[in-house]
Amino acid sequence: MNRAKVQHFLWRHTYIFSLLLLVVLLAVNYSLQDNLFELRVLNNSMRTLLPLILLAVGQAIVVIGGGIDLSVGTMVSMLVAMLVNLIDPESTTNEIVLSILAVCGAGILAGLLNGFAVAFLRLQPIVTTYATSFIFSGVALLLLPRPGGQIPTDLRRFYAQTPYGVPLSFYVIGALLLFWVVLRSTRYAQYLFATGSDSQAAYKTGIPVRLVRMSTYVWAGLFAGLAATALTLSTGSGQANIGDNMTLDSIVAVVLGGTSMSGGKGGIAGAIIGVMILRTIRNVIFFASVPTWSQTLVNALIIIAALAGPGLIALVRRVVKK
Amino acid sequence: MALTLLAEHIVKRYGGVVAVRDGSIELTSGTVVTLVGANGSGKSTLSKVITGVVAPNEGQLLLNGAPIQFSDPHAAKRQGITAVYQDLSLIPAMTVAENIWLTHEPRRAGFSVNRGEMRARTRELLALFEGTVSRKLTPDTLVDTLPPDERQIVEILKAISSNPRLVIFDEATASLDRTQVDRLFELIARWKREGMAIALITHRMDEIFRVADRVTVMRNGRTVGTVDIAETNEREILNMMIEGAASPEKLRMPPVDPDAPVRLEVRNLRAGLLKGVDLTLRDGELLGLGGLQGQGQTDLLLALFGAIPYTGEVILSGKPVHFQHPRHAMKHAVAFVPGDRASEGLLLSRSILENFLLPSWRRFGVLHRIKDARAAATKAASDLSLVYSTLDAPASSLSGGNAQKVVIGKWLLRDPKLLLLNDPTKGVDVGAKAEFYALLRDLAAQGTAILFYSSDDDELLGLCNRVLVLQDGQVRDELAGERLTRANLVAASMGTTDEPR
Repeated sequence: MNRAKVQHFLWRHTYIFSLLLLVVLLAVNYSLQDNLFELRVLNNSMRTLLPLILLAVGQAIVVIGGGIDLSVGTMVSMLVAMLVNLIDPESTTNEIVLSILAVCGAGILAGLLNGFAVAFLRLQPIVTTYATSFIFSGVALLLLPRPGGQIPTDLRRFYAQTPYGVPLSFYVIGALLLFWVVLRSTRYAQYLFATGSDSQAAYKTGIPVRLVRMSTYVWAGLFAGLAATALTLSTGSGQANIGDNMTLDSIVAVVLGGTSMSGGKGGIAGAIIGVMILRTIRNVIFFASVPTWSQTLVNALIIIAALAGPGLIALVRRVVKK
Repeated sequence: MALTLLAEHIVKRYGGVVAVRDGSIELTSGTVVTLVGANGSGKSTLSKVITGVVAPNEGQLLLNGAPIQFSDPHAAKRQGITAVYQDLSLIPAMTVAENIWLTHEPRRAGFSVNRGEMRARTRELLALFEGTVSRKLTPDTLVDTLPPDERQIVEILKAISSNPRLVIFDEATASLDRTQVDRLFELIARWKREGMAIALITHRMDEIFRVADRVTVMRNGRTVGTVDIAETNEREILNMMIEGAASPEKLRMPPVDPDAPVRLEVRNLRAGLLKGVDLTLRDGELLGLGGLQGQGQTDLLLALFGAIPYTGEVILSGKPVHFQHPRHAMKHAVAFVPGDRASEGLLLSRSILENFLLPSWRRFGVLHRIKDARAAATKAASDLSLVYSTLDAPASSLSGGNAQKVVIGKWLLRDPKLLLLNDPTKGVDVGAKAEFYALLRDLAAQGTAILFYSSDDDELLGLCNRVLVLQDGQVRDELAGERLTRANLVAASMGTTDEPR
């Protein structure tokens, strides 16, 4: 009975193991870098981390729904290019808010394009989103041929603030978790998990599978918009390939957070933890004085190990059993 | 709200294949109609048309006299029409409660899912099957961890939970044990009194007479007739189904020659659910394994095939063996025919040829001598009187009975000395069963030792020289000769014999 309860808890909260891993890594990181938890340092790292966190949340929803979105990175590039075109150092608050809404709207439209192609034209998610990623990349170059753009300094300051001694990013993460708790309690979430788990069974049960599937890409688009906003506020300017590398990171973060690539299992808390794990690993590599030219390789090996993790554990279990 | 649903002259084609040619059925509140027919006669497709899973190419549905079209299962559900699907519609990664209430979750203020109420109402539903299921079946159990019979029960409760006006039970009893079937039929009788329209698709003749008011018979995609249960009998229904084909014989097989060489001897075998089983099997003998489902029969077969770990002595052809992998068993001329042909027995998307030769490619060289292989497969197909278009057609193009022949045929190419069968005729139509029985008898006559688990008592009674009835992982009784009767079989499987071995 108790064991079943533990199993059930672990199954419902897939991020538990990731959380443990994060704590261990943070301890290692702290031993190498003793100012890690100083407010200024923490705020700086969280500020640069927030865009990827937002992006990974969107990716997690797509993956739970049984898909994958390889276009989120270039989508961010496109939306950053759009945002820095819309605002300049003299923009009023109103204009800024409207610009951010416009960027999120554009993200939703981009997500609709992906979602329509995958859900209604029944194209392969990997191929489709890889293809659309070039559309977004192309638009980004059109909008912002040369790196540049400037945003009001007040806006950067706003993003860097730490109300009550806590970095702004943590408030955003709190809001994200609240969003997930609310979403998880709706019928939509049941549909999402059911569709990702077994779309045939979901269809026969009367779930509008195609709409659900499309909606996951729309979420990814919306979160790409938010990520682009955070990235712009963080860097203060834009360039046309600024987000391109974020796609793989977002997927790795989702996996590190315990979300199953085969769909129907996981959550956004895991994705957020996954991003932090990824960042902490990189910190550790950096502070452990790994030579610069091998950092990429070490980084890649760790990512592969993380992706292979669940499979490796299962393999070891089988061997031990014999 | 009473309802009459009429399906008239339904035609459904999948590409070039016609699944239903001319399907008609009438379902009314407060009546139970059983829909019977050989495999591939279009029963499941017709029911999928009624529940909106597939759209018909021709014909129409009339709901209380008015034409209606269902764009998807959701639309049918809104009219109170739903089904218990043969291949189930459960999400393995969700709990029992989540599955049952999927798409009609109880909600607070029409927004957030009320998990407490969902659990409570699930408990009420589970109480309907109380005493026939394990205590591990709770609202919070993951469906993934449930055995097939309990999954089936969850699927039934899922259909019932939406208070439907019409429910189609597609082969809902196939994976249930006897007590569960009895309970289901009590419930069906109750739901019928309460005014539900019920359609029951089944392969079990006795079930037709237990609950049905009417029987609608389909053959080759056509509805060939509907008869009142009071005015018909088994033979008439069978004749309508198979159009003059031979009905399965019910001959009691005599015990085999006690001097025949012993092929298999098992002592104190423990594996999975098994708590120490002894048995002896002679060449040419058809030894049946009976009892309720899930009493360890499958574990016995899997252990002998080296697919699950076990302890105990196994003596095959006079030599002690301990198989750790099916490959070892295959080397010793042991073959295993799984019960679930779609997931375990066949590669559905690959060709019939490949399916036949999968266990035997080694015989045809490193670079396959494809002509020899094809000849061998052709011979096997004709030995089995397989009905097929070409050997290169995918296995999925075969009808149920013919597909089952391939599942067995692929092992016959290896010339097995010991054949293990795990409930091979589940969901196979009556006509195909008869041919299958003949095949088993031939094999036994040629000297193959056969260990045969079946959930169908008729099969055990009509085919086997001897039957071991398992209960709770042990042999409860051994039936042969005069003692091999239905009454003894039932009694032993319920555990009521006076003298357990």
